[in-house]
Amino acid sequence: MLRIFKKDLKLYLKDKRAVLLTFLLPIILITLFSFAFGGIKTNNSKPNPIKMLISDLDRTKTTKQIISIFDSIAGIDVNLQEFDKAKIEVTKGKYVGVLVFYKGFEDSLHSGKGLPIELLYDRAQEMQIGLLQPVFMNVLGKFKAQESMNKNVTGFLNANFPKMDKGMSDRIIKNVDSKLEASNNASTDEGMQLKMSSLVGEEKDTNLFLIQAIAGVAIMMLLFSVSSLAAGMLDEKENGTLKRLLFSPIKPNTILFGKMLTALTISITQLTIMFVFTWLAFGLDISKNIPALILMILSTSFAVSGIGIFLASVSRTRAQAQGFGTLVILTMSAIGGSMIPLFVMPAIMQKIAVVSVNYWGIQGFYDIFWRNLPTSEIIPRVLVLVGMGTILSLISVRLFRRNVESLG
Amino acid sequence: MIQVEDISKSFGKIDALKNVSFNIKEGEIFGLLGPNGAGKTTSINILSTILKPDSGKVFIHGLDLAHNQDACKLLIGVVPQEISLYEILSAYENLHFWGSLYHIPPTELAAKINNVLELVGLYDRRNDAIKTYSGGMKRRINMASAILHNPKILLMDEPTVGIDPQSRNRIFEIIQELNQNGMTIIYTTHYMEEAERLCNTIAIIDNGHVIAKGSLDELKKISGTKDILKMKTSVLDEKNLLKLNESIHLNFSHNSTELNFECKNITAEISGLINNVLIAGVEIHGIETQNASLESVFLKLTGKHLRD
Repeated sequence: MLRIFKKDLKLYLKDKRAVLLTFLLPIILITLFSFAFGGIKTNNSKPNPIKMLISDLDRTKTTKQIISIFDSIAGIDVNLQEFDKAKIEVTKGKYVGVLVFYKGFEDSLHSGKGLPIELLYDRAQEMQIGLLQPVFMNVLGKFKAQESMNKNVTGFLNANFPKMDKGMSDRIIKNVDSKLEASNNASTDEGMQLKMSSLVGEEKDTNLFLIQAIAGVAIMMLLFSVSSLAAGMLDEKENGTLKRLLFSPIKPNTILFGKMLTALTISITQLTIMFVFTWLAFGLDISKNIPALILMILSTSFAVSGIGIFLASVSRTRAQAQGFGTLVILTMSAIGGSMIPLFVMPAIMQKIAVVSVNYWGIQGFYDIFWRNLPTSEIIPRVLVLVGMGTILSLISVRLFRRNVESLG
Repeated sequence: MIQVEDISKSFGKIDALKNVSFNIKEGEIFGLLGPNGAGKTTSINILSTILKPDSGKVFIHGLDLAHNQDACKLLIGVVPQEISLYEILSAYENLHFWGSLYHIPPTELAAKINNVLELVGLYDRRNDAIKTYSGGMKRRINMASAILHNPKILLMDEPTVGIDPQSRNRIFEIIQELNQNGMTIIYTTHYMEEAERLCNTIAIIDNGHVIAKGSLDELKKISGTKDILKMKTSVLDEKNLLKLNESIHLNFSHNSTELNFECKNITAEISGLINNVLIAGVEIHGIETQNASLESVFLKLTGKHLRD
């Protein structure tokens, strides 16, 4: 098996163009996809205004005041919308999110309770939401601090100067207000919490589309790489070397698993290079959970290699290999989330996706980089991938045996 | 050395081999002669273990092939019909890979590779990629790859297809050298002259049947094929033919200006024939001899030419 592997690796490395394509093509595609999905942060580009909805269920003077402040902020395009309609519009991706002032907002502000306000957002617009959040917090924090200060000053004046005329006490409070405004105190949002909920998915702490780009593209490219196994096997068949291998004292399964070992090695190397490249070029923190990352790289490579030897075993002609290869790669990539992120797909497609290796691979990488799940939570996905690879290998052994018999 | 007992093999409705039997002695060059599709490659595939016969048995060096595949594989080297080499690897790299499959220790393998490269005359080109080789050179490396593990038996499936006469002669020389060193060789071909030149024993195979087997002389006897003496003559008339029938006791055929005599021994019989033809009043314009060949044996046995 090792000899087959060494020979195949030597053959692979001899073809410089193929080696270059194996690594260069996915790097180019990852870069392109990252740009396309907005996964790369650029300093020079002037952003378009962020389209935001506000749903005012409180309909008070305070909420209107806050909304007018939001509306005046450059770079934010604020639109008022009814709550239900706003949620639908955000879900459809027309707006990055909706800031909801629930009934009782003003009362809570006056009484110093937690504010009934929530930012419902589109997970796919994570970057814009990340920019909006501190702006909202700042404005709301100032309001809350001002309200608290007013309350304290009024209480103080009432307690110590009960006979002070109202005009004077109002002037004092206004003066305190303007000083508070001028100080632009950084601690205005202290204790202030803005509840944030994704309308479509989980929490995040890194760039979703960068993960989508690396995981989606890398697995699709792995499929392209291992599909060349089928072509390689056909080359061996056509030039007679497969027959010659069978003349020698090695078993047919050894040939097949030697090929799989080659595919596995190339896949592991390719995925590793992809992640290292994404780390160096785009700052993806690959050190977040290294054991889980290693497990995912190994299991994804194993499953993808299983597809490789399946294609090599099932194809009896070059046309079959091309046909099966294209079919498997495009179908798996399309339904599994390599081409289009799963969360923008309809629910039925998300259910179908589980049959593809891409789905389990991409979700596993999401678990590591997006959901920050511990290694123990990654294991089920790893097991599914290993199971897929094992089942495909077993089917391939049977198919290859039949394929080999036809050589005689 | 090799006993093939009553083997049959079918592919769907096609009977590739039907009750084929033959024995091959140690040190023989055994020719399997037949047209394309006769069953030669199927026989080689069965002997080389990659194909199982539907029925019958094969013994190699006393080992039942069906139950001793691994042991038999070590005794056998196979030179396939295709040039089964990795084109982008060098000759040395190819030989190293193929040799390594036979568990030859690395240092021993290196020495063996150099020896076979010397034998096939390509030592100086050992580091060149196979794709830069001529067809004849590739054939020689194809052969070298099969003998690295020093097999006792070499199966050669039409090893000279598509090469020039010079390369073919070089391959013949190598085969004869290997045979002189004790290697038993099974050689399939549809070239009569190759079988005649190389083989001690020949089996003629057609439509999956072994029609006849033996040395060339034995095959001539089996088929009853004789040497032919051809005479170009003046126009033959009935009178001439009547006299020839009376005086000559050999089978002969004729057309208006040609007589063909079937001779057991042309050298001994030629002067008497010339004398009788002249006595019969026939002028001789030319004489041509045609020795019995595998071609004529094959024609006689199968009723068709080998390349039909």
